[in-house]
Amino acid sequence: MPSDEIVADAPAGTDRGAAPAPAPGPERSKLVVKGLDFYYRGYHALKSVNLQIPERQITAIIGPSGCGKSTLLRVFNRIYSVYAGLEATGEVLLDGENILDPGFSLNRLRTQVGMVFQKAVPFPLSIFENVAFGLRHHLKLPRGQTEDRVEKALREAALWEEVKDKLHTSGLGLSGGQQQRLCIARAVALRPQVLLLDEPTSALDPIATGRVEQLLSDLQREYTIVIVTHNMQQAARVSTYTAYMYLGEMVEFGATAELFTRPQRRQTEDYITGRFG
Amino acid sequence: MMQSPRRLMIRRRASNLVSKLLGTAATLFGLSWLVWILIVTLLNGARALSPRIFTEITPPPGSDGGLANALIGSTLMSVLGVLIGAPLGIAAGTYLAEFAERRPVWRETIRFVNDILLSAPSIVLGLFVYTIYVRQVGHFSGIAGGVALGLIVLPVVVRTTDETLRLVPNMMREAALSLGIPRWKVTVQVLYRAALPGILTGVLLGLARITGETAPLLFTALNNQFWSKNLDGPTASVPVVIFQFAMSPYDAWHSLAWAGAFVVTMVVLVLSVGARAYLLKNRMDSNA
Repeated sequence: MPSDEIVADAPAGTDRGAAPAPAPGPERSKLVVKGLDFYYRGYHALKSVNLQIPERQITAIIGPSGCGKSTLLRVFNRIYSVYAGLEATGEVLLDGENILDPGFSLNRLRTQVGMVFQKAVPFPLSIFENVAFGLRHHLKLPRGQTEDRVEKALREAALWEEVKDKLHTSGLGLSGGQQQRLCIARAVALRPQVLLLDEPTSALDPIATGRVEQLLSDLQREYTIVIVTHNMQQAARVSTYTAYMYLGEMVEFGATAELFTRPQRRQTEDYITGRFG
Repeated sequence: MMQSPRRLMIRRRASNLVSKLLGTAATLFGLSWLVWILIVTLLNGARALSPRIFTEITPPPGSDGGLANALIGSTLMSVLGVLIGAPLGIAAGTYLAEFAERRPVWRETIRFVNDILLSAPSIVLGLFVYTIYVRQVGHFSGIAGGVALGLIVLPVVVRTTDETLRLVPNMMREAALSLGIPRWKVTVQVLYRAALPGILTGVLLGLARITGETAPLLFTALNNQFWSKNLDGPTASVPVVIFQFAMSPYDAWHSLAWAGAFVVTMVVLVLSVGARAYLLKNRMDSNA
């Protein structure tokens, strides 16, 4: 846990509730977060967060444990709504439409915003069926087309060569790194516009991590990627833009190269130089 | 200085030995009764066993016969019990584990009531079915017996379904839901598959439990010396026949009671050992 003294003299949240943060770069914004607050059974987990996530770029969210970075990610596809007592207020615009609006169909949102989790959780189905699962529900494709889409997704996830001869064996038989790429294939099979990754490599060894990172930079040509990571080197390696969060507030957001070399805030500097966190 | 750690070691060894001995003795004491019961049942039962058990119906005193009507009656009523208890139990267990999130008090109340039903004496369930069904239709029947057995299966399946579904990691639910798939489909197509070994084990254990039940059948199916034409009349069952024949003064009936006890014991043994072996195998497979 970070010590409290450092927090006390840091200029945290002085611009709370200000106008939406400007876009960090020249790209069009895919997701625009405006004044987002999040309550976890009364606990104020996100405090008036503003953020613009650029299209077809990798945006990393970093910050110490409990700063709300995963919570923010979980708002983007409203997966938090599975649990009772969680509430988000404010606006999150996906191509200009507010996804927090109760009228915005959850299932439509989730086909547009895919998610990959910290721990790979293949369904207890074959490798093929894992990837085809979402396709079968949303699109009633003829058999051959489903097969094409599955192959394409597995190729995108850089897994095809390793599994093409055992597509009908259980997904649980794969190695940890392969399982995580299977989960990425499962998410991209639906051709979402945004791909959310919640510490996708924290359970993987360095080689598997390297493969996934390589994969992310290939995927950013087609997808808007938001990755939450504990690992600052990873954020620096893979992302174009980085957001630093602390205690539920968006402290700093900007181009990764900029944020890591010339942070605007003391707090950010303390964190990235390892003085706390 | 050299003595002290050695003495400590000896003391530890001694207390280790004593507790090991006491623990082993307690286990052997407990197991010996079970083994005794099994041996006596198997020996007497094997002696009384003959093919006629499965082909002839229960005889009047003084003549030869078998247990065919009781075996069929037991099988039919057990199957009916599982057909009533398992689907209801799986549905209720699924509700508790997957759909009662937003009503915690209600959910815990149901769990508590289910636990009471789980430990309710089976004769009470028999009397319950007697009151609400047998008394209303005016006669004993195999259907009433099946319903009473279903009430015994129900809480077992509710509990195992609830518990195995809760063992499925939340991340599996989130991963499936994040593909934009509705909750019911996630439950049926993903979670049930992950929880299948546990749910099936619950059903098999429920079946094992009702196979030997006597009390709930006394008030519902009663008994029948002959073939039952259908389940809507008094129906013979192995446990009730054992009860009746074992209390009789006739040697031939005693011998049939032993044979019945043998068959019931073997069925229960195979079911519960099989269910546990199946569960264990699946656990090891998923860990591999």
